[in-house]
Amino acid sequence: MPPLNYFVVESPDEVGRDAYERIAGDVLQDLDLIKVVDRLHIYVDPKVPIFVAAGVLRHMPRAIRVADFANVNRSENEIVLDIGDETYLAPLLQKLWILYGKENVEQPDRFTVVLPAGTAGEEDLEQMVVADPSETLYKDVIYALQYIAPEGFKVRRQYIRDGKFYYVASEDTLPVDIVETMVVPIFEKMGVTL
Amino acid sequence: MTTLVPVTYKGGVYRHDEIMDLIDDLGGYIVQKHVMAQDVVLQSFVPRDDIDLIRQIAKPLAGEVVEAPLVGTEIAVVSPSLEIHHLPHTSCDIAEYLRRAGAKTNMVGLSRGFGKRIANLNDEERDVINEHDLAVYVLGSFEECIRQKFPVLRRGIHVPIVVTGAPDRETLMRIIDPPVEGYVGGVGRIMHRFKRPEELAKLDELVDEVSRTLDARRDELARDPLSVFPPRLMAIVEEQIHEVTMLTHPTPVTAQMEGLRVKLPYDLYADAVRALKVADGVTVGDIADVTPSRMRNYILVRIKPFSETRVLV
Repeated sequence: MPPLNYFVVESPDEVGRDAYERIAGDVLQDLDLIKVVDRLHIYVDPKVPIFVAAGVLRHMPRAIRVADFANVNRSENEIVLDIGDETYLAPLLQKLWILYGKENVEQPDRFTVVLPAGTAGEEDLEQMVVADPSETLYKDVIYALQYIAPEGFKVRRQYIRDGKFYYVASEDTLPVDIVETMVVPIFEKMGVTL
Repeated sequence: MTTLVPVTYKGGVYRHDEIMDLIDDLGGYIVQKHVMAQDVVLQSFVPRDDIDLIRQIAKPLAGEVVEAPLVGTEIAVVSPSLEIHHLPHTSCDIAEYLRRAGAKTNMVGLSRGFGKRIANLNDEERDVINEHDLAVYVLGSFEECIRQKFPVLRRGIHVPIVVTGAPDRETLMRIIDPPVEGYVGGVGRIMHRFKRPEELAKLDELVDEVSRTLDARRDELARDPLSVFPPRLMAIVEEQIHEVTMLTHPTPVTAQMEGLRVKLPYDLYADAVRALKVADGVTVGDIADVTPSRMRNYILVRIKPFSETRVLV
């Protein structure tokens, strides 16, 4: 595993520690998050019981614009979008339908979208934001931590902002000051202040 | 008396009916037949002395006969829940591997088997697990959790249990009290497919542990044999109740070590099953308990031992 810059799993139970190191590695790999997470520290103690995962994200992916995956060719009476990568075609079509109406958006084949020049000439089509992967990335990171954490730990508190995230879970009610007492010290170990 | 041994036949679809006829003619029983595209797998019991004959006849058909210790058993693979934490890799891989050894496995996902404080086992789960020949408990990574919740998860279970978990075998033996029949350490939650040699070795260890446990039970049964051999009763049910052939289940009649599960509605067919003639003057009702199963509306047939019925078919 992983090309993370910092990856530590701590637990009083040595066997459990090894198991969770493997689990975390597998989950991050499965969900394709290895390139996204920069630092990750996990502390798990089944006796308390508590599970804390804290970490830092690498750069956030920027918003995807039309120019990133399609060529916009303007001619006299129509605009032809030549799609290079289909990944974001569905959200693009959704946006175009809302903007120009379904009857004006033609798609003669998988890789071509045709708009009439009259309805869609003026806007800066290339710069239109089609999707923002960071939106789903937040969900993916939290989902991954939910997936890594022991299943019975249903009470949880999660946070993800400005490239920093933490996830605290337990079977019992979490103390009010759990972030100050457990999460902040872990961030300090990674050299980050929350 | 010839001893029947459990074997698996693997071969092509082409002329596999000849093998089926052969097993039948030799006095063996086919417990399960799987046709997958062009392959056929027959889980069967055949006389020990005739295995070589089957091998010989199967040779031109490129079929192979291997011993499969778990044929004719139904095993419950119990997972604390059906959440992504346990599926697909740990539970399914274990269930699938046991299937390869010939067992019919059912996955039992508990509704509240997780969390050491809140884990519990409801009456339906308990009864369903008790309908099997053996239960494999697929537990997790922490010694503490297994120690605290296993007593709850085994409450009321009287079939043999094999436990798997991440702590090593010795630790499992130490923390589980009273002891269970089998332990496989070093498994726990594994989030990738079992494919490394050491992981496959663990699965082999599990099969060994399960077959050792079931062999002990078979030895016990041999001292007071059942009134009829379950696969034989299975053949009778399949022959005489033609509705069975119309069921789409992979195993419409499932053979267990001490009985059968017939996947027909109890209300409509229980009397027909009871009235089935096993031999002259002996019906199923005389030598077995025909009861409703907790699994859907199936029929569970529990064959009584010789000491109770004084009948041996």
